[in-house]
Amino acid sequence: MKGLTVFIADLRKCRSHEDEEKRVNKELANIRTKFKEPSINGYNRKKYVCKLLYMSLLGYEVNFGHREAVELVDSTKYSEKQVGYLAVSLLMEDESEYLRAVVRALRRDMHDGSEWIVCLALNAISNIGSREMAEVLTSDIVVQLLSPAASMFIKKKAALCLLRLVRRFPEAVKAHQWVGRITPYLGHRDIGVTQSVASLMTALAQQYPEETRKAASFAVRRLKSLVIDNEYTLDYVYYKVPAPWLQIKLLRLLQYYPAPESSEARSTLLSILRHIIDVSQDVPRELQQMNAQYSILFEAINLGIHLDIDQGLMQECAVLLGRFITSRETNVRYLGLETMSHLAAYIDRLDSIKAYQGVIVQSLRDRDISVRRRALDLLYSMCDVENAKAIVSELLRHMAMADVALREEMALKVAILTEKFATEYGWYVDVMMRLVSLAGDHMGDEVWHRIVQVILGNEELQVYACKISLQTLKAPVCHESAFKVSAYVLGEFGHLIANAADSAPIDQLKALQSKMSSTSHSARAVALTTVGKFINLFPEIKTLCLRVLDRYRGALDAELQQRACEYYALGTLEGDELLPTVFEEMPPFPERQSALMSRLLKREANTEDQRTWVVGGREINRERRGVMSGAASNDSREAVEASAMPVPAASQTGGPAGGSTAAPKADAPAASSASELPTDPSVAKSMRNYARLLWENDGILFDGEEIQVGVMAQYKPPGGRIGVFLGNRATAPLYNISITARAADGTQLDIQPAAGQETEQIPESLMPLAQARVFFDVQCKHVFGAAPTLHIGYTVAGSAPTVSELQLPVTVGHFMDPVTISVADFFARWKQLGDSGIAESQHVLPSAFLTKDAAGLEWLRSVVGGMGFALIQGADPEPNNIVGVGIATTQAGRFGCLVRVEPKPAHGLTRVTLRATNAEVARSIGSNIKMVFESK
Amino acid sequence: MPIKYFFLVSRQGKLRLCKWYTTLSPKQKQSTIKHVSQLVLARKPKQCNFIEHNDCKVVYRKYASLFFIAAIDLDDNELVMLEIIHRYVEVLDRFFGNVCELDLIFNFQRAYFVLDEMIMAGEMQESSKKTVLRCLAQMDETEALENAERGWGDINLEGVARTALLSVQELRQAFSR
Repeated sequence: MKGLTVFIADLRKCRSHEDEEKRVNKELANIRTKFKEPSINGYNRKKYVCKLLYMSLLGYEVNFGHREAVELVDSTKYSEKQVGYLAVSLLMEDESEYLRAVVRALRRDMHDGSEWIVCLALNAISNIGSREMAEVLTSDIVVQLLSPAASMFIKKKAALCLLRLVRRFPEAVKAHQWVGRITPYLGHRDIGVTQSVASLMTALAQQYPEETRKAASFAVRRLKSLVIDNEYTLDYVYYKVPAPWLQIKLLRLLQYYPAPESSEARSTLLSILRHIIDVSQDVPRELQQMNAQYSILFEAINLGIHLDIDQGLMQECAVLLGRFITSRETNVRYLGLETMSHLAAYIDRLDSIKAYQGVIVQSLRDRDISVRRRALDLLYSMCDVENAKAIVSELLRHMAMADVALREEMALKVAILTEKFATEYGWYVDVMMRLVSLAGDHMGDEVWHRIVQVILGNEELQVYACKISLQTLKAPVCHESAFKVSAYVLGEFGHLIANAADSAPIDQLKALQSKMSSTSHSARAVALTTVGKFINLFPEIKTLCLRVLDRYRGALDAELQQRACEYYALGTLEGDELLPTVFEEMPPFPERQSALMSRLLKREANTEDQRTWVVGGREINRERRGVMSGAASNDSREAVEASAMPVPAASQTGGPAGGSTAAPKADAPAASSASELPTDPSVAKSMRNYARLLWENDGILFDGEEIQVGVMAQYKPPGGRIGVFLGNRATAPLYNISITARAADGTQLDIQPAAGQETEQIPESLMPLAQARVFFDVQCKHVFGAAPTLHIGYTVAGSAPTVSELQLPVTVGHFMDPVTISVADFFARWKQLGDSGIAESQHVLPSAFLTKDAAGLEWLRSVVGGMGFALIQGADPEPNNIVGVGIATTQAGRFGCLVRVEPKPAHGLTRVTLRATNAEVARSIGSNIKMVFESK
Repeated sequence: MPIKYFFLVSRQGKLRLCKWYTTLSPKQKQSTIKHVSQLVLARKPKQCNFIEHNDCKVVYRKYASLFFIAAIDLDDNELVMLEIIHRYVEVLDRFFGNVCELDLIFNFQRAYFVLDEMIMAGEMQESSKKTVLRCLAQMDETEALENAERGWGDINLEGVARTALLSVQELRQAFSR
């Protein structure tokens, strides 16, 4: 396009910005008129659109040409279409009126006979990715990805196109419908396709851990073929490293899954990791090879940390990384520090990392701020009780020289570490006072608020804090934040040191006053309150205090004036009741997540991918891991438990082997229940029925081909009445009917046929579609673990008698009544029970239903309510969380039970914690909730 | 590990190519480019190729007079991003033949097309140089068939210094494979 080249050359010749602008404006006017000509041909249209693109790249505003871009898209010529799509992606906004026409064109091009046109369309979709495209085109893209006829080019692009749409509009693409079919493509022989699919799977693995479960084994196999078996084509070797991008993708993908269960897969994975680490022992000479090699190594270490299967290997990594952090290459130093802080966040023994403490501290002085930042992260992660003092004092020493951009983070981290690892009260107070003096200008109020909270909460700290506060105020210079802390502390606890030398009330007031004039309004406001408190604490200096307040009664600042006037009025009031009440000592600050931590974590919350770890110590990462992958890693254990769970099962007894044609189909699951629970639909169904009756009193318990069993229950703890309904669903009458119930342990639960008028006789025979009823009375004598069993026997004409055995949904949880208590009471009891630590039951449960809509949360609420908990509103700061209280009544006593349900829709997981005054109660109700979840 | 955005900027701060893999308003885009360019242009040669900006890590690399800049998530793999950039430069080099900044100025649209063949949705789409170049050659051929007038070879660029992006040594390495 000569015209375009000339135009660009023209612009480059312009000497000044004004010249350039003139030339641009002239061209814009020219293009406007050209676009109006009806005879403009495709070539010229393409040329002018390209000129517009160039001008917009230079930063000029281009607000026309959209129609022409769409016309180019509609062109039959490849090159015009290509420029058209480029212009659409560069110029158009999401709400553009022309996008509809573009979607129409895309739809057509997606079905074009030429794969080149299809590729163009796919590129365009991934570049624009609007909502309408996600809604209209997703199915076409999935078809292209799965079609055996589509070329590798198309498959690759289709996978990444889906990725863009999945990321932007997860609800519109309905990934659950196709994700299962795409997983096997991880084993595709074409490296490009595997790589694209791996990218897509990485995003989906976070949303659909269940559906994409198989991806992990595919990834391991593929990695093995690349790393160990050397199966790849030469074009994918990048500076002697085979397909580094694919290796990294797969290593990353595996970090979203728990460690494989089979020992074979584990050892394969380990040998892959081992191989990668071994290869990295020699330093490659070429930069590109080194980068590629090390990028794989770092990812492998991340995976090793995630899998947590070989601490020895990790110690070895620590040594390798130690070599990196002293490297001359800045990039390698940077990454060494970063990976080491990840390692420090998990590794059991920090010794191997502590060996490098000196080097790491040195890195705080690196020329490069990026490296300094990583060094700070690492010091924060590797800090423990042993080295806390050394690290904190190093950080404090660097504070003064640290970059402004880094200082706030540094201050927060120092504050957190000091609080976490303080073993002496004096040290905590000293460090924090120094911290606010050094970095006070660069940090939010959270830090000084936190100091006050800690001092309020720890009586042992208060005297020392007072001494230091007074010293701080008497020092020649005093930072504003330090002033605020000191003023507050003296106001609360000044009386504790009033008898010491030079600390008399008058000294305290004078020290306060001496700094007051040089501080800001907000600090003075704090000081005024302290003066007010002094009136109450030290009546002997009342006049002096009033004099101070009096001076501020005319202050220009409204806040100061108001405080002064109110405190003055309080101080001069007749009678002596109001003043002590107003200035009563502050209660200890309630424990909750430190505001410092929230502030630090807020920085990291905004990324697209879920981080697999955070900078920080082991506990915080363990906790996160518990929420994120807990469901998956618990599965193996839960599978074992599942087989022991009370599963309603029916079995056939008696009859000759040959005559079982009419026997209920339900006997099959009884045989298979131990091994393959979730796969058998009829068992899954009866499990669902049973689970439903754990939180609802009435419903169907068993639905077979011949019989249907329903349950209605009424509880008056510790007693209750259960109605069992037997319906005949067969076409022939049932004979010899018997319905009996037996408790697992008669000393804990008493279950008897109900006596009295309401009871009905079981009829001799039951006609098709007819129903029989039996009532049982239950008495809960003591906490019991296993649910009672229900035996239903009957004969269908002409065949052997059948006995079905069902689990009757009666658990200790059913004998629970809701209790309403206040939020404060709840927390007191929650903490009290938590401290005892014995009667807690916690599950992290996969809960895909949460992601769909608010109905999931609503359902969850009704489940918890239905189980006999009173929901406490507003107790939990997180509005989605549910907390409830109930009391289970048995003849042997009453047991309180508290529940906290924390749904995490983003992860599709829910954590359920139960604390009760009896361990068995917590366990039993916990497993009830688990079952309800599993059968949702 | 999605790339959030990718752009090329000259030593003088002129934008040469700019690709967004996330959706932002024009205003946000502009201010991001401005800030990140400033950050990167101020870096010294011996410093590492990574710097944090807001919620992302910026990975950059300088080739002759051009900075190639990409932003990725905080826990993404920086080194491999660096090599994505390098592979892109290698492909450009082979595609244009000893590529320099001028090629990318006069053929900016083709630089976009090359990028589209290598990176989609912020992910590496194809890392094989051979495959990408074959695809691009096909594209060129199609265009040539459709289009009699082509290239910029007849334009006088005398007096304009052409500095190749890859050094001779780097080129030798790239071609030796």
